[in-house]
Amino acid sequence: MRDALTTVVPSIVAYGVVWGGLARQAGLSLGELVAMCLLVTAGTAQFVALPMLQSGAPAWLLVVTTYIVNLRHYLMAASLAPYFVHLSRGRLALLAHGITDESYALTTARFARQPAHPAYFAGSAAATYVAWYLGAAAGGVLGGRIPDPHRYGLDFVFPAVFIAILARTIQAPWQWAVAGAAALVALAVKGTVGGTWHIAVAGLGASALGIWLAPRAARGSAAPTPDPRGRTAPR
Amino acid sequence: MIRPGLLLTFAAMGAATYLTRAPLLLALARRRLPGWVERYFAALPIALLTALALPLVVLGSGEGAPAWVTDLPAAAAVAVLARRTGHLLVAVAGGVVLVAALRALLG
Repeated sequence: MRDALTTVVPSIVAYGVVWGGLARQAGLSLGELVAMCLLVTAGTAQFVALPMLQSGAPAWLLVVTTYIVNLRHYLMAASLAPYFVHLSRGRLALLAHGITDESYALTTARFARQPAHPAYFAGSAAATYVAWYLGAAAGGVLGGRIPDPHRYGLDFVFPAVFIAILARTIQAPWQWAVAGAAALVALAVKGTVGGTWHIAVAGLGASALGIWLAPRAARGSAAPTPDPRGRTAPR
Repeated sequence: MIRPGLLLTFAAMGAATYLTRAPLLLALARRRLPGWVERYFAALPIALLTALALPLVVLGSGEGAPAWVTDLPAAAAVAVLARRTGHLLVAVAGGVVLVAALRALLG
């Protein structure tokens, strides 16, 4: 899985460069965009906030929007929690900062095949943050001088990483069923409601299939068990 | 030149973010969960990652050619490459090259 990290880190840097450029265009100074990265710590929410900052939206609306965009973290935290059974509350409170789309994707893919070490999560979270800071700062310095990120497919890197991780993870029929249901629900919700609700709705809804379809003895990717056989779950 | 009001807003946004990350991690770690909850959580990564990625490559950003003729084929290529080679970097790089080509041709 070493190549997972070497793929995800450049993809986050690219994502950060795009964000940094947009942030300058939205009127943030270099210092402000760095401060935003350090304080907000959530890339998608930072993307969503830029047009709002540019149009002078009230602060409370920015905070509420951030909360809504980040609702998916509740699900990620819940599914990561069983791996961290032996950690103190202080460490858990610290690790919570590390829950991001990328660290979550890396960690769940890794823990499905190998023993669950909290250190792997901490490491991938740290790599995620450093890559995001570097990318955002570089994008801010360049100030949106990359002519057209869309033209070079830079925006495609983000979904591509998740699709590649999914393609390597999904093996068993029940996993295909969950992915198929999530795809249908996400598209339906995105097409009708818009915003980022599709992530929470499809995540919550399609996962319910796992209750009936996921194997009972070997608990698949999200459940750590002291029994090594539990880790050779069908993939 | 950092506007102090903006810093406060960012800090509040960070607090809102932390509120989505910490509570369930603290509440659910260190306890044994019922089997059905564990099976639910086993399905969550697949459902969440699919929900994150798929609308982006099917519906796209509205810029240029429709995403389903450029991004969706490239996404399929990413999936095939990832399964065949097992290398994420190869798969993602191949997808980016293909999407840029398709956008140049069809955009």
